[in-house]
Amino acid sequence: MHLSTRRRRLAGGLAFITATALALTGCSPIGADGETSDSSEPIRIGATIPLSGTLAGFGSFLQWGYQHAVDEVNAAGGIMIDGTAREVELTLVDDKSDPNEVTSSIKTLISSTNVDALLGSCTPDLVNPGAVVADAQGVPFVAECTPIEVFKSVKEWTYAWDIFFSVADQAVAPFEALEANGIETNKQVFILHDNGPDGQAIGNEIWPVVAEEQGYTVAGNIEFPADNTDFSAAIQKAKESGADIVLISSITPAAISIRKQMAAIGWTPKVIVAEKGAEPVQFAEALGDLADGIIVGAYWDPSFGYPGAEELKDAFESETGLTSSQHIADSYTAAMVLMDAIAAAGSLDKDEINDAIGETDGIYAVGPVKFDDEHAAKIPVVSSQWQDGVPIIVWPTDQATGDFLFPVP
Amino acid sequence: MNSIDPVGLANTVLGGALLGGLIALSAVGLSLVLGVMKLVNLMHGQIVVLGAYAAFYLAAFWGISPLLALPIVFVLGFAFTAPVEKFILAPVAKHGEEAGLLTTFALAIILENLFIRFFSGDSRSLDTAFSRETIAIGPINLPTIYLIGFAISLTVCLAVWMLVTRTSFGRSLRASSEDPISAAIVGIHVSRVRWGTFALNGGLASMGGVLIALCFSFTPSSGSEYLLTAFAIIVLGGLGNIMGTFVGGIALGVIQSLGAYFFGDGYRTFVGLVMLIILLAIAPNGILKRRRSL
Repeated sequence: MHLSTRRRRLAGGLAFITATALALTGCSPIGADGETSDSSEPIRIGATIPLSGTLAGFGSFLQWGYQHAVDEVNAAGGIMIDGTAREVELTLVDDKSDPNEVTSSIKTLISSTNVDALLGSCTPDLVNPGAVVADAQGVPFVAECTPIEVFKSVKEWTYAWDIFFSVADQAVAPFEALEANGIETNKQVFILHDNGPDGQAIGNEIWPVVAEEQGYTVAGNIEFPADNTDFSAAIQKAKESGADIVLISSITPAAISIRKQMAAIGWTPKVIVAEKGAEPVQFAEALGDLADGIIVGAYWDPSFGYPGAEELKDAFESETGLTSSQHIADSYTAAMVLMDAIAAAGSLDKDEINDAIGETDGIYAVGPVKFDDEHAAKIPVVSSQWQDGVPIIVWPTDQATGDFLFPVP
Repeated sequence: MNSIDPVGLANTVLGGALLGGLIALSAVGLSLVLGVMKLVNLMHGQIVVLGAYAAFYLAAFWGISPLLALPIVFVLGFAFTAPVEKFILAPVAKHGEEAGLLTTFALAIILENLFIRFFSGDSRSLDTAFSRETIAIGPINLPTIYLIGFAISLTVCLAVWMLVTRTSFGRSLRASSEDPISAAIVGIHVSRVRWGTFALNGGLASMGGVLIALCFSFTPSSGSEYLLTAFAIIVLGGLGNIMGTFVGGIALGVIQSLGAYFFGDGYRTFVGLVMLIILLAIAPNGILKRRRSL
């Protein structure tokens, strides 16, 4: 009892200090209409992210994006819930790039941490298992980093939402980039893709159709396990095919190995497109100038001019000393969409938060966000190309930040 | 099945053989540890990764080429694993083989998490000028780095074989392997031999990690994959058989490359493991058919 009384006094004291600090700094909680009150009980948001394992290249950017959004909201005084300003408490768990780890960690976040809402991990392998658990347990879940068709194909969602690009748009983008930049090839493509959900979707179903529609011939198509390391036989086949263009969909370690092994056997296709695995900056860091000329689907650059985009890039680079990635934009946006929905609901009732997520219609750092009937918000795709360790936008030409590098050096 | 191009097939088979021989260096130490210590060393893959990280940071901070760094990496691997055996594995050895196995399993998890903590989860890669060059033999183009790695691996395996078969340490090692009690009675310091063997394994596995990282990428989690490959190689070559391990590496490389060439990369591991089972049924002591070289 004594301890409990002391805790209550401490909580009251902290609440007073917080209220005073907010009043002095002029900060205003999200959803505040004027008068604010305080509570020591935070709003709990959780997520699993890949900080280790094969998808770790994405995890550190998601971690920063989520944390930065939460820090911004807390610095502004938190979120008003039932007339009380609440801070947001973010719990991030390393899912080790393992879907089973995602499932168990999301269950723990719901049952033990008592999260009010969840954010997603990265890639369909890790997002979908978490979304399924959250959906089944009625916890609002906002994800990014998983193509919308793959997300929609899992089930009819109730509590899970996705903000990302369309894999169909991603598949078309490199062909559009070649056309728009007047690149001449023998119009033969060779496809190398992993057996993950998005790898199969783009490699088996979408790229072959899109290539044909765009007037290209598919000279070969090889599927490999996502964790494969030796690609020499596949690369040999691609080389034998005589294709000028190689389309790759893989995780980052595989993308690095494929490019290294292409160099090792002395073969450089004129055009290399490497989706997913070539996205993180660690891809370019690991390969050095071997990364030059590689095209990867993108969706964000600070130059696009969405609100807060430049500030986001500057904050990341000044805080970490690292080159920014587009994943800071979608992760930051997902967290802001969720917290805006909590503020709009003004309640921690999960159904009310979920309804508010569905009502989202605004322009965020990553671009416009408005969910369709299947809980997906599509963001436009552009094509970027690694040049001297920096991703340069090369299509659409009106958004280009540099010239198209052709052929691959 | 895909159409057959003889040159492409030759490139694939020769490349697979060279790569297998190169990877065999990472398995030789494991074979020694199994033969002498009867220890299934589940932290072996993490020691391979440790070697890759050592070379990566030697190159990043001091500009030392990964190939020139091999002796330094060997010393680092030796120095890291020597106290592990003396202060952790030796004390638990008296509780039976399972205690050692479980201890190395725990150490593997600890090491992997330490790698993540200190080196981040990012994918890394080692690069040299040789990594981008090929040597043409008629119509066949072979990656220079595969040839160099194969030669280094062969040289080191021969050196280890000489050490085991032609030196007093080797005699002690073989005696300790066959009958540790009798070896101790005749004055061999068995615990010192075990210590030396485990540390030697550390050095060899670390060097193997450098060669692997020159060809592929690596992450803190790559260790388990290297462990599986190393086990397959030493089973093919015959437990404790050093040159058998080298030949086992070549055989696995060829089998997997053929599987990948004819059936696609999705079948690389599958074909390799099926052939492993068939070969074990035919030659259970390994393809060199000797029970043990120790």
